[in-house]
Amino acid sequence: MLSDKEFSLSSAFAIQDLNIWFGANTGNVRAEFHVVKNVNLELAPGERLGLVGESGSGKTTTILAAMGLLPANAEVSGRILLGGTDILHGGEASIAPHRWKDIAMVFQGAMSAFNPVRTIGWQIAEAMQMHGVARGVAMTRRIGELLELVGIPADHAVRFPHQLSGGMRQRAMIAMALACEPRVLLADEPTTALDVMVQDQVMKLLVRLSKELNLALVLVTHDLAIVAQSCHRAAVMLKGEVVEQGDVGDLYHRPKHEYTRKLFEATPDVFTTPEAPVRTSPASKKTEPASPLLDVRNISVSYPRVRSFRDMLRGVEPEASSAVENVSLRVDPGEMVALVGQSGSGKTTTLQAILGMVKARAGSIHLNGRDVTGLSSGQWRPLRRQVQMIYQDPYESLDLRYRVRSTVEEPLRVHGIGLTAKERDGLICAALERVGLTPVERYLNRFPHELSGGQRQRVAIASAIVLKPELLLADEPVSMLDVSVRAGVLELLDELRTDARMGILMITHDLSTAAHYADRIAVMHQGRIVEEGAAAAVVRSPKADYTRALLASIPHPDPNRSTLADLST
Amino acid sequence: MTLSLPGAAAPEAETRLGFWPVLNDVLHQPSALAGLAIVTVFVLLGLISPLIEPYSVHEATCAVFEPPSWQHWFGCDDGGIDVFSLVLRGGRISMIVGVIATFIAIGIGATVGILSGYFGGWVDTVLMRITDYFLVIPQIVLMIVIAAVWGPSLSHVIIVIGALMWTSTARLIRAQVKSLRERVYVKRVEALGASHFHIIIRHILPQIGPLLVANTVLAITVAIFNETALAFLGLSDPTAITWGTIMEHAFDRAAVSSGAWWAIVPAGVAVAVLIMGCYMLGRSIEDGLNPRLKVSYLSLHGWKLRPLVGRGPDAI
Amino acid sequence: MRGSAYIWKRIVFAVVTVFVALTLNFILFRVLPGGPVSQISRVPNASPALKQALTAQFGLDKPLWEQYLLYLQQTFRGNFGVSYMNRQPVLDNLIEAFSNTIPMVAAGTILALTLGVVVGVISAVRRGSMTDHLSTNIAVLFYAFPTQFLGMMLLIIFAGVLPSAGMNDPFAIGGSGWDTFLDALKHMVLPVTTLALTLYAENALIVRSAMLETLGEDYILTAKAKGVPRRRLIRAHALRNAMLPIVTMVAMSLGAVVTGSILIEVIFSWPGIGRALYTAVLKRDYPMLQGGFLAITVVVITFNLIADLIYYKLDPRITT
Repeated sequence: MLSDKEFSLSSAFAIQDLNIWFGANTGNVRAEFHVVKNVNLELAPGERLGLVGESGSGKTTTILAAMGLLPANAEVSGRILLGGTDILHGGEASIAPHRWKDIAMVFQGAMSAFNPVRTIGWQIAEAMQMHGVARGVAMTRRIGELLELVGIPADHAVRFPHQLSGGMRQRAMIAMALACEPRVLLADEPTTALDVMVQDQVMKLLVRLSKELNLALVLVTHDLAIVAQSCHRAAVMLKGEVVEQGDVGDLYHRPKHEYTRKLFEATPDVFTTPEAPVRTSPASKKTEPASPLLDVRNISVSYPRVRSFRDMLRGVEPEASSAVENVSLRVDPGEMVALVGQSGSGKTTTLQAILGMVKARAGSIHLNGRDVTGLSSGQWRPLRRQVQMIYQDPYESLDLRYRVRSTVEEPLRVHGIGLTAKERDGLICAALERVGLTPVERYLNRFPHELSGGQRQRVAIASAIVLKPELLLADEPVSMLDVSVRAGVLELLDELRTDARMGILMITHDLSTAAHYADRIAVMHQGRIVEEGAAAAVVRSPKADYTRALLASIPHPDPNRSTLADLST
Repeated sequence: MTLSLPGAAAPEAETRLGFWPVLNDVLHQPSALAGLAIVTVFVLLGLISPLIEPYSVHEATCAVFEPPSWQHWFGCDDGGIDVFSLVLRGGRISMIVGVIATFIAIGIGATVGILSGYFGGWVDTVLMRITDYFLVIPQIVLMIVIAAVWGPSLSHVIIVIGALMWTSTARLIRAQVKSLRERVYVKRVEALGASHFHIIIRHILPQIGPLLVANTVLAITVAIFNETALAFLGLSDPTAITWGTIMEHAFDRAAVSSGAWWAIVPAGVAVAVLIMGCYMLGRSIEDGLNPRLKVSYLSLHGWKLRPLVGRGPDAI
Repeated sequence: MRGSAYIWKRIVFAVVTVFVALTLNFILFRVLPGGPVSQISRVPNASPALKQALTAQFGLDKPLWEQYLLYLQQTFRGNFGVSYMNRQPVLDNLIEAFSNTIPMVAAGTILALTLGVVVGVISAVRRGSMTDHLSTNIAVLFYAFPTQFLGMMLLIIFAGVLPSAGMNDPFAIGGSGWDTFLDALKHMVLPVTTLALTLYAENALIVRSAMLETLGEDYILTAKAKGVPRRRLIRAHALRNAMLPIVTMVAMSLGAVVTGSILIEVIFSWPGIGRALYTAVLKRDYPMLQGGFLAITVVVITFNLIADLIYYKLDPRITT
């Protein structure tokens, strides 16, 4: 009943000469930012277009403008065409009738985009009531149909958003967007917060719906591989402008703009992993004595549940939930090991156990031959010099009130290294130089907010290596960075591995990155290591079913090597 | 999800974290400026009040309930004492009581909140249980009981107010510290090998500093309120001159039925103006710290259309 | 059903808090040096016979823990002792006082809540407008005036127009039921207005900031995108979510209700629990003071429990 819309060759949705300005009042000065510049896009019914760009490129602002949802300090000019008629000319008044009825949107982060105190069904029903699409029994039936369409059992309509998993919530969000049978669907980073396998499912769903319902779909994302696998065409945005637009195949094989090429190059491709890692391991490994830098043997970690009042009444000890079960790992000096798994697989807990932040229930952890299992935090403190950690989000991992100099100096003060300021300054400058923040003088007195994401991550790394640790633990060190700066940070880690002979244990959800940079890969699933081996071997001939499933769900940046969906129709 | 609006909006929000940036930001708001001005004037008047009191606050200088005149701006009370001088002196003592009681309360509250939020676990459980009990028991009644048992005295009033008023501060600081404790940079510093003391002093306290200042300013309003309430119920030192006792005396000596509003109004208005000042200042700092108040999806005005320039049929 | 665990937890907490209050009461009056019962001599005009009776009643010759048990036992039997002042059982005095207080405080609180929610919502949704500035500043003004000051001002302004003291006119006996009712209503006007004015301001400020916080949430944007009109957006989405912090904060401001009603009862000579407490302090009527403290505490704890249960009803996310 939904799929028999006419297929027309004329455009379903077009953006013409869209310009957006944001006004900002900073103190007494009124500034204006031209954030979207002359954007033109056009989609036929059933066509899927990827709108690609890094954070701040104006891609989300563009589609919010098409929905008429910009904040009050925005000024817009241009035309938004829906089946040939301009819906922007009358401002809010002319967009409002079409919103959600003809043009709907899937918001990023379905957790916060759903009202937490209303059921999913209630919220879908509201969309229909507002536009008089359905009522009464017919509406209830339609809610069930919509949920089933996106792969959620119809009886889940009575559930609240927090009672659904992340993937389910995103599906429910899609169901809500389809409630009034729109012709155009705008999806804003619909899979960003999801694990790669769930992401794969949600993308397949969107592609299927677009085909079945003849929906024009605009997919806003920073991930080129997703676009390559799910869209016909793509538009690349940079600083508010569309710098290149065209068929996904053309963009991949014959990028015209420098920036497009850079983006593709920065997108790691698990399928082109060379037999040995990119920069072949130095032969020195063989001469290394057999004593490992980090030796984790059969550790298990469990989080006890909080004892509830009822447990107390019954005299029951709450059962502990096991987070990590029987995990063994080994990192040698000058070696990078990647621990790959989805969220909740136990990889972060493993790292915490190695750092002594959580207690291991069983097993042992040896650091440089010394048993560090179960040391108190006081006993750990002097040892922390040897093990340093790099965190995922460089926007979060630096104290925003500290200048670069103080951030890098803090570990020295904490460990009482460098008696004079001059001595410390030397160490600080050396560390900053090592991470490539040169000339050092330009960075020493900056605050974190005056640095880009990549630079911040480099500062974080500098403050870790200023102590000259032997082991670096890196928790998703690039996943929060823009695609184009990821490679630089990873290269830096690689240099630390080869030049300073640090052992690196990197946590990542991204098998492609792991395959490119690590010597060995350990794949974690549900608290256990399911496969371990040389990086190339794990990627090329995976033994565990889970690794195979993980590999199958990774989108490929080359549109011809379709992994996600069949685009032949 | 936060919609990343490009331009100045996003990075600006991040810079407003340290103490001085927040203060600088806050002081651009008219209400904060007005609040600060009021508080400053009151503190100055309190400091120099013995120098500028026109008449004695102990001896009669005019007739009973004499209405305001050029000699006695605010008139006189039931004992023929100049109300203007009384209010000046009363403000000095009321403010001292309010400030000391507040410092006691904030000291206890911040300590409990930081320990509870930072260490978590059983420390948190025990401290928060205690806080919850204090929170639920009606404080003014407990104050009345304690003041009644111990006898009326200004220092009792200070201790009682300070020792019972810390609970909301403890709750607020705990919530803040708890979320700071989970922040990655705190984890990072901990992984560097820093001690808890170092982390609390160098990373936690500076972050909650502005909030603590706002809370202190707001707590002063509650302390002064409680002082006037206790005084009004006759539980303060009857010989001390505070805004509370001035109003209590006036009520006691039938100023209401005599229509002698001037014996009540100056002290009451003084309390109100000082509290308004504190409230506006404290609230502005607190609001400035709350990033959730910076966005509203329900603004009165929508986005605007700008006529097309350049290409297209509507070009001008 | 993990939700029932939450309800149980709150009930247990309330019961334990009552015990804490009981114990605090015991310690304040018995254990601490200067505690009135331990210094029977401080009872005004105590005859030797009374002293003996009191010693026996409180078991002062027994060890402390036995005294405590005795005290608990007596309390649970509803025996709070006898008021020094009118020689009536404290319990009877309390019941009478509460029955006088409840209508006045209920009317004032409900009025203040309604006014606070309406004013708070209006200024939040019209944020930055003249209306917002005006209503917020007026609220701050009323927040800043001490209750007793507002009460006295109303007394001076309405002297002669409205009755200024007590609950009814002692000379108007014999009128019809309707007249008595009207008379009582007139007596209520000033105290209720004072209470409502002092309380509405805090409520309005609480509601305003809670609303402002929810208006920045992403689901508001989603609802707006769905075509939800402004009024419904405010009611069904923003206010519905803002109710959660509002319930919490209104429960926390119960203390202000108690303070306000005590001061108001003193000013308007309202023969309620607050005035009873005040007289008990003046006359050093310790059994009344003790009983009053306990009774008010239990009432406040009960209302806190009710607030917890409302919160549970409002927030589907509560599991523990």
